[in-house]
Amino acid sequence: MEIFTADPPRDERVSLLAVRDLSKRFGGVSALAGVTFAVDEGDVLGIIGPNGAGKTTLLNCISGLYRPDAGDIRWEAASISGMAPYRIARLGIGRTFQIVRPFPSMTVRENTAMGALFGQPDRRLQPGVALHEADDVLELVGLGEKRHYPVLRLTVPDRKRLEVARALAMRPRLLLLDEVMAGLNGVEVEQALQMVRQVRERGITIVLIEHVMKVIVGICNRALVLNFGRTLVEGPPADVLKDRRVIEAYLGQRYARDHG
Amino acid sequence: MSQFTQQVVLGLLLGGVYVAVALGFSLVWGILNIVNLAHGALVIVGAYITWDLFTRVHVDPFLSLPVDALALFVIGYALQRGVINRVIRAPLLFTFLLTFGINLVIVSLLLLIFTGDFRSVTPAYSGSGLHLGSVIIPYIRLGGLAVALVLAGVLWAILNRTRTGAAILAVGADRDAAQLVGVDLRHIYALTFAIGAAFAGVAGGIISTFQSIAPTAGDPYTLQAFAVVILGGLGRVSATIAGGLAFGLIEVLGQSAPWLGSGYANAIAFVVLVIVLVVRPRGLLGRLA
Amino acid sequence: MNPVGRRRPDWWRRVALIVAALALAFVVLAPLTSIDAAQQAGLPLLTDKLWFRIATTVAMFVALASGWNIIGGLTGYASFGNVAFFGLGAYTVGVLVTNRGWPFALALLVAPVIAALFALIIGLPLLRLRGHYFAVATLGVGVAVGEVVNNTSQLGASTGLFLPIVRSDLAFFYLMLGAAVVAVLTTWLILRTRFGYGLLAIRENEEAAAVIGVNTTFYKVAAFCIAAALTGLAGGIFAQWSSFINQENVFAISDNVQMILMAVVGGAGTVFGPVAGAIALELIIQTLAGGGSGAVYSQIGLGVLLAACVIFIPRGVIDFFGGRSRLSWRYLRQTLRETSA
Repeated sequence: MEIFTADPPRDERVSLLAVRDLSKRFGGVSALAGVTFAVDEGDVLGIIGPNGAGKTTLLNCISGLYRPDAGDIRWEAASISGMAPYRIARLGIGRTFQIVRPFPSMTVRENTAMGALFGQPDRRLQPGVALHEADDVLELVGLGEKRHYPVLRLTVPDRKRLEVARALAMRPRLLLLDEVMAGLNGVEVEQALQMVRQVRERGITIVLIEHVMKVIVGICNRALVLNFGRTLVEGPPADVLKDRRVIEAYLGQRYARDHG
Repeated sequence: MSQFTQQVVLGLLLGGVYVAVALGFSLVWGILNIVNLAHGALVIVGAYITWDLFTRVHVDPFLSLPVDALALFVIGYALQRGVINRVIRAPLLFTFLLTFGINLVIVSLLLLIFTGDFRSVTPAYSGSGLHLGSVIIPYIRLGGLAVALVLAGVLWAILNRTRTGAAILAVGADRDAAQLVGVDLRHIYALTFAIGAAFAGVAGGIISTFQSIAPTAGDPYTLQAFAVVILGGLGRVSATIAGGLAFGLIEVLGQSAPWLGSGYANAIAFVVLVIVLVVRPRGLLGRLA
Repeated sequence: MNPVGRRRPDWWRRVALIVAALALAFVVLAPLTSIDAAQQAGLPLLTDKLWFRIATTVAMFVALASGWNIIGGLTGYASFGNVAFFGLGAYTVGVLVTNRGWPFALALLVAPVIAALFALIIGLPLLRLRGHYFAVATLGVGVAVGEVVNNTSQLGASTGLFLPIVRSDLAFFYLMLGAAVVAVLTTWLILRTRFGYGLLAIRENEEAAAVIGVNTTFYKVAAFCIAAALTGLAGGIFAQWSSFINQENVFAISDNVQMILMAVVGGAGTVFGPVAGAIALELIIQTLAGGGSGAVYSQIGLGVLLAACVIFIPRGVIDFFGGRSRLSWRYLRQTLRETSA
């Protein structure tokens, strides 16, 4: 029996994550109105868009905190739309929150270990083992020395690192990062970029929501622009950022006209 | 058929009482995020004041309502400013426990002062009522409903037509932003609670006219106030009115159902509560989120 | 898992630990002096009827407070209706023993099961609620179940149920003590396992717990059922011990508040907090109640104590034993400042 070793052509390959026509309404407001895109293994997809465009809502739908009103989300061709968050997590999807959500009464190490303890589908770890795994992850994100700190002692950038560490401890295949760079100064952004690069080097597919364009250009191989809950443009970051429609969405028609 | 109409009328009249009881409770919950387990006790304090004035000085219960309001206003202000303000930024469980403790203290003090005997207020017009066809509308109940609607109007006017009311709404919407524009947080907290207590006192005065009161008679009203707010929705005076009237109807019609009886008042409140929370959490007229 | 902080083993903490161990030994062994054999051997009688009554009540509240702690302290869902499980356990034993002629031991095995089943049924809808809503919804359960029982003639309605009287202070004390030990042991075990960490995660941040893979619904309901079983067990023992049950003595909301108060004052979320709280508070209550004009003053005292504890030592007394804090003016002022307007 022969075993195929070549990769099948791109359009026949099943995407890691495929979102199709996703819609979500809150009362009368349409947060998402038909979003469609796909993420392949190894991608670093950047999602940008003005405030209120629906980016976080999108992440919440993918990770299961919201149930979509219409459309479908598929993980390796199987639908995960409306699945309970813990099951989506166990499939290998990890996420961070825009406003960090640590467990305040636990140390940095314990917080991270929680990801290992609950997020790994094939291995039901014991607390002791999970704590050891946490140590490795903490080294990666640069919190190794602070692992016994109570969360409340951490600075904001460190809390964001912790958020990422906890998700990484789950050994996810896909990591959803929600504005990890928000509130960081130039130096901190560089450090965070470096951390994201290292995550990618571990083979983890990344989807990140960002406002900091330097990041999008610096690390993403694809970019997706959302506006008013719809996909505006998709493609390589450099092209997307020069697209007239994108400039219009962020800065208004007049600016686009004057500078286009 | 006229039997049914009578029930509906009684239900609405009872609903009026519930509106009066729930207004203060809803205000304190909506603005201060405090579920006041001592609310029923404050209601009963108002009832006792009315009873005392009626028995000793022969003041008509409806005329003593302003006294109730004033007395409870002062008590409420002191309570919030002196005690409850100390835990207002603590997790919800603690305000819960605190108000329960206050409830214990108030009820016990009432037991000491008034003993556990049942008291009633029976003005001359107790038994009589308006006769509309075959339906009887007791004057006392009608007065109660009228007072409740007046209270609702007063609350609405305070909140929407005065500067103080604007400050209260601001604190309820965003505490920090309100502080930044110069609102004295501690004072507004105390004022809000005081207004809520004053309304509770008036409700108590009304209740004393048709129900015998004892120190522990306030507890059921707390749970019922909660059910009314859940049923009607938080955030608007009209929601409390809707919830109160609906709840009164449910209770009267429910108790006349063959398999239930008057012993199930609390059970009915609870079932309504759970059904609403599970099916339509924001209630009949509440705002979303 | 221990709260974070430096451990400062002051000498007085060691002394306190030794004293506690000795007291525990006394409590467990002293009742044995009341056995006939011991009496005949000339041992002094160290316990009397009053001692047994208070000790059994204290043990009961240790069980109740620990049970509440599992759903309220560890998981963060403050239930105000746990007393319903107590009452259900009591009435299960009451009905099985009185109406069906079952032996007490067998009925006692069923009590926690019934309580846990009830917790499963109401837990599924109720645990979807949070904060205030959950608290008052469970309050409603406690009140409503009591009311239903009070109106059901097969359960004795307002007259209550009378069980055949069994006189054995010793047996009931050890039985209740056993329930308390089971409750505390269960809490200790939970906190050492993955399940315990999951509960803490739910308490600290439920959304975050969900997205890292904690099956929050299952965990919450499980915690609720475990708490119910422990509470129901205590209720079952109470039924036979007291020989009489009705709405007032087994569905009392004030008992529910007492268990919460004990757990919180002792230290919610810890293993020994509820133990310390239950012992301290119940002894205080018994002292106040015995003081003559009794019930009313003890209620006032309880109310004031509750207020003071909530305001000044929200993390509970156990905070001082973990080495993290010291009971001082500074501590009191600090907690005050953290939570004041």
